[in-house]
Amino acid sequence: MNDVIVIGCGPAGLSGAIACVTYGLKVTIMDEFMKPGGRLLGQLHQEPTGDWWNGIKVSEQLYQQALNLGVNIRCGVSVYNLEKEDQMWKVYTSIGTFEAPFLLLATGAAEYPIPVPGWTLPGVMSIGAAQVMTNVHRVQIGKKGIIIGANILSFAILKELQLAGITVNHVVLPEKNAFSQNAGVPEEVMKSLLNAAHLAPSPLLRFGSSFMKNNWIRKMGLTFYPKKGMKVNGTPLLLRKAAVEIIGEDQVEGVRVIDIDINGNPIPGTESTYEVDFVCIAGGLYPLAELASVAGCPFQFIPELGGHVPHHSESMETPLPGLFVAGNITGIESGKIAIAQGTIAGLSIVKHARKGNNSIDNQLQQAIQNVHSVRKQAIIKFNPDIELGRSKMNELWESLYVKNETPGKMTG
Amino acid sequence: MANSENMIICRCEEVTYGQLRTTVDKHKCTARELKLRTRAGMGFCGGRTCRPTLDRVLDSFIPNFSPSEIPLKYQPPIRPVSFGRIGEIHD
Repeated sequence: MNDVIVIGCGPAGLSGAIACVTYGLKVTIMDEFMKPGGRLLGQLHQEPTGDWWNGIKVSEQLYQQALNLGVNIRCGVSVYNLEKEDQMWKVYTSIGTFEAPFLLLATGAAEYPIPVPGWTLPGVMSIGAAQVMTNVHRVQIGKKGIIIGANILSFAILKELQLAGITVNHVVLPEKNAFSQNAGVPEEVMKSLLNAAHLAPSPLLRFGSSFMKNNWIRKMGLTFYPKKGMKVNGTPLLLRKAAVEIIGEDQVEGVRVIDIDINGNPIPGTESTYEVDFVCIAGGLYPLAELASVAGCPFQFIPELGGHVPHHSESMETPLPGLFVAGNITGIESGKIAIAQGTIAGLSIVKHARKGNNSIDNQLQQAIQNVHSVRKQAIIKFNPDIELGRSKMNELWESLYVKNETPGKMTG
Repeated sequence: MANSENMIICRCEEVTYGQLRTTVDKHKCTARELKLRTRAGMGFCGGRTCRPTLDRVLDSFIPNFSPSEIPLKYQPPIRPVSFGRIGEIHD
């Protein structure tokens, strides 16, 4: 019998399981991928300190720690439904049905693909697929390619592709439309990139980031943005070009692009074609919360967190008894935050299972504080207004689920 | 969006942007009705590829959606699964 079932064997799920098993709870983790580690497996970048963050190593450490503590880890298992029956969560999976009183959903994020005419041709993939093929499966995705979409994720993965010796010729924007929204507006893209200046693609962006936050200087910068783009480790970032169509007979042969003004409007007569054999579309990430939804958890749309997120407290509880969440299902942030949130969720479960000692409340508070400090030091911020998104959810939780202790209040 | 009318949004059911747009124009439909009329999001992958795109299209087609509701409902099974598995017949 399990005390806890964790769904998702990434940073949040592993650290949550470790916190639970440390206090004597019996834990099983399930993940639909064949390897443990989740999206940690794709991550490789250099920190400002010069140290490398190697996701494969981090995931191996967490995995070994969990195994040594006695966590049962089942990879290659898909969960297709959840139900609550007699105080127990029933977890329906591709290898049968499991039960536990506590459930931790650490299912992470999924990619938002921006549709572009011709995007169904072989050779077109999401930027995350390029990352998995390169860093997990070690497959070369092509000889020369283009990335459509300039954001923090596409720059991080561009760097990884370059480290693997894969040539990316250009980074361009998607055409401005209902699907791409702000991702097709140079001024908005510039704004979001400036907040990621530490990972900045060029010395100019890095240098300019502080005063480029000023409105008119930013507009000037974009108006006089070089036609050939600024180099991101050798790859030109073309903020003033948009992809109109991906072309090819049986596979990708090229991308038609057009010049755009700083608001993303196309400039007629400026079309040209880039020859490529692969295309990566980078539309960003959204919380993968389908299981929370079938479980009946209420949701709120919070754009700063990446989309619809299940209601949850700072202690990672949901309004459904026994159901907890951690990691990107609660909002799009880096792997380090996911690890820290997993610990909160694990300690919360320990508390609800009455397994912790007197210090559990204290530890829980420390774990919550730890998330705040990790967030302050985070070098990868997917949304510059993440703190605002987090406080929106906290306020919502307070207003809906924290009992108002007004004496004599009439209920009923 | 010159070529967008023929652009496929739902790959499994091969539903184009143009089909979605004309369906909304003609029937002034809700998210669910649009899905049922066009089958967008109802293919083998269960909407795992086109759901967020559909959400955004709906957002621009159909205003005033509620922030506390997911436009298209999630329903089990959320992953493809055999009838035998659902019936708990183990082989």
